[in-house]
Amino acid sequence: MDLLPQLLLAGMVIGSIYALAALGFVLIYKSSRVINFAHGQIIATGAFLAFALTQRGVNFWLAGLIAMLATFLLGLLIERVFLRRMVGEPIIAVIMVTIGLSSVIDGLIHLTPYGAGSFSFQTPAVLSGAGLEVFGTPLSRTQIAGVLAALGLLGALTYFFNRSTLGITMRAVADDQLAAMSVGTSVERVFALAWAAAGLTAAAAGVILGLLSGLTLGGLAGIGLKVFPVVILGGLDSVIGAIVGGMLIGILENLSAGYLDAIVPGGGTRDVFPFIVLIAVLLLRPYGLFGTKEIERV
Amino acid sequence: MKKALALSALVALSLAAAQKTVTLAWSGAITGPTSDAGASYAAGVEDYCKYANAQNLLPGVRLNCVVRDDQYNNANTQRNFEDFVGNMNVPVFLSYSTGSNLQLKGVIEETKVPTLPASYHIGLIDPPNNTYMFLPVSSYSENIVALLEYIAKKDRGAKVALVVNPSPFGRDPVVDARKAAQRLGLKIVDVQEVGGNNLDNTAMLRRFESQGVKYVINQNTAGPVANILKDAKRLGLLGKMQFMGAHYTGGEDLTKLAGDAAEDFIWATSYYLYDEGDRPGIQLVKKIGAQYGRKADTIRSVHYTSGMLAAAIAVEALKRAKNDLTAAGLYKGLTSMNGSRAFQPGFTVGPVTFSAKDHVGAESLRLLQADKTGNFKAITGPQRSQMFQLVHPLR
Repeated sequence: MDLLPQLLLAGMVIGSIYALAALGFVLIYKSSRVINFAHGQIIATGAFLAFALTQRGVNFWLAGLIAMLATFLLGLLIERVFLRRMVGEPIIAVIMVTIGLSSVIDGLIHLTPYGAGSFSFQTPAVLSGAGLEVFGTPLSRTQIAGVLAALGLLGALTYFFNRSTLGITMRAVADDQLAAMSVGTSVERVFALAWAAAGLTAAAAGVILGLLSGLTLGGLAGIGLKVFPVVILGGLDSVIGAIVGGMLIGILENLSAGYLDAIVPGGGTRDVFPFIVLIAVLLLRPYGLFGTKEIERV
Repeated sequence: MKKALALSALVALSLAAAQKTVTLAWSGAITGPTSDAGASYAAGVEDYCKYANAQNLLPGVRLNCVVRDDQYNNANTQRNFEDFVGNMNVPVFLSYSTGSNLQLKGVIEETKVPTLPASYHIGLIDPPNNTYMFLPVSSYSENIVALLEYIAKKDRGAKVALVVNPSPFGRDPVVDARKAAQRLGLKIVDVQEVGGNNLDNTAMLRRFESQGVKYVINQNTAGPVANILKDAKRLGLLGKMQFMGAHYTGGEDLTKLAGDAAEDFIWATSYYLYDEGDRPGIQLVKKIGAQYGRKADTIRSVHYTSGMLAAAIAVEALKRAKNDLTAAGLYKGLTSMNGSRAFQPGFTVGPVTFSAKDHVGAESLRLLQADKTGNFKAITGPQRSQMFQLVHPLR
C-alpha cells in the first residue's frame, strides 16, 4: 500500500481540525487586531461542557449544540467584561489580558470535576462501526464526521464574511475602524460578535477533538497554541488562510513523520518540520500566505 | 464535677503540648501537564496523612499535611522544596516529576532530606547524588525490561519498537531496553518519540508495519498511548501488533481514553488495582477514599493508591525513627525496611524494602492485560525482572 496518499489524507483530516481550531484566532484578529491566547482554554471549556451534559444524559448532538451556544455567550461575556475596557490601550496590554484570561479559565476549569483527569465521550451509535477506506487509508466515522463538521463550519463562515452584510461590516471594521465608525457602524458590536463566533467555533473544535483523542485539559488547551503556526502561515486575518494553513500544517506534519522520522534518531520531526516551513514562509511573506499585506514606513 | 472537667482539660492541654508536629509535604502537578495523574496522587498523599492522624499511627506526633501544586513546573517545585525544608523543617520530601527531581538531586544531597518521588526514573537513584533519593516502586526501566523478557519467552527474535515521551521521563529507559533486547535475542528496530499533542500516528504505525514490528512498548503517559491504540485499531493493526507499556501508560486512564482499542494492552506495574478488592491495601484505599469523600474516579485511580503508598512509607519511616523525627532519623527509618523488617503496606504486589544500597521500594511487579471491558487482569504473578540487574547494576 503506497504511503504517500495515506499520509496526505491523514494530514488533511488533522489539518481540517487544526483549521477549525485556528479559526477562533482569525475571527478575533480579523475584527479587532487582538491575538487571543486564551483560545485553547475556550476550546477546553466547550469540550468539557458538552461532556458534562452527556454525563447527565443529554444527547451527544444536543450537548454539542448547547456547548457551542454557551461558548458563544462566553465569548460575548469576555469581550464585554475584559476586552471592551482595553480599547485604545497598547496591544501588548491587550495580549497580556488574554494571557491572564487563559490562566483564570484554566484555574476555573480545575475547580470543576474535569480539570484533572482523562475522559472520553461515549461515541454516538451513528459514529461507531466501520468507517470508509479512501485511497487505501481507513478513516473512522468519527474522523469523517469531524472533517465534515469542520469543513461545514469553515464554509459557512467563509460565506458569512464574503456574502452577508454583517460579515462584510466585520471586514470593514477590520480594515479601518475609524472609517467604519464614521459611517455609523457599531465597532463594539462587531468586536463582541467576533469573540462570540470564535467561542462557537472553539466549542465545535473541542468536541471534535474530544471525540477523536479524548478529553484532557492539557491536551485541549495545548491545541490552542499548537495551531498558532497555522494562523501565522495562513495569515492572521484570513479565513481561507486558516483553512489552507491548517491543511498545510497537517500534511507537513504527516509527511515529515512518514519520511524524516525514519532517518532522524528518535523521530518527532512532525513537531519541528512545520515550524521550519513556517520560518521559511515568513521570511518571504511576513503576512502569511493569505494575510493582508501591510506596509509601514517609519 | 467542675474539678473533674478542669482536670481533664488540663490533661488534654498537657498532652497536646507534649505532642510534636511533623510536616508531611508533597509538591506535584495538581494542575497543568500530567495533572490527570498528579491530582489523584495528591489526594492519596493527603488522605493517608489525615488517616494517620485520625488513627494515631504515630503516637505523640501530629502530622501537618501539606499538599502543594507545582503545575509540573520545576521552578515551582524548587520553591516548594525550599519552603518545605527551609521554613517547615520537613524530614522527608514527597516529590513528583522526573525533571524536577533530576534538577533537585544535588540540592537534596546537600540538604540530606530523604525524597520519595512519583517518578520511577532509574536515573534518580543512579550515582552521583543518590544517597537520599528512594523510588517507592520498581523503575520504568525495569518495567520495560520485564516486558521484553515476556516477549522473548513467547517470541524469541521478534522485532520490537519503543515509543517514548520526548523528555527525560520517556528517554531514559531506552539504553537499558536496548541492552536487554540484545541479551534476550530481540531486535529493537525503531525508537520514536511521541508527545502529548500528537493527534495522528498513521505514519509511525505504517512504518512499524513495514519494518515487521510485532511488539510496541510505550514509555509515556496514557493520553498519547490511547491515541496510538485508536489509530492502530483504525488501521487494522491491533491483532498484528501487541501494544505494551510501563507504569504511567496503563490503568483506568488508558481504558477511559482509548475505549475498546485498549483491549489486550499489556501493562507493567507494581501496584494492586481497585478491582482487586480482596487485597488489604485496596480495602484500605476504598475505606480511606470513602472516609474523606473522594469521588469514585479518584478512588479507582492507581495514582490515588500510589500517593497513599508514598505517604505510608514516610509515616512508617517516622514510626521507625522513634524520637528522632529529623531527616537523619527518617533516613535511618527508611533504610531499616529490609529483611524481616520489610514494610508491608499492602498497596503493592511485594513488600517495600530499602537499605543504604537498595533504593527501590516495592521491587516486584506484575504484567496485566486489558480485557474487553477495559479492566486489567494479571497475566503473571509478582516477579522481578531477571535481566534488569545485568543491564543496569544498581550501586
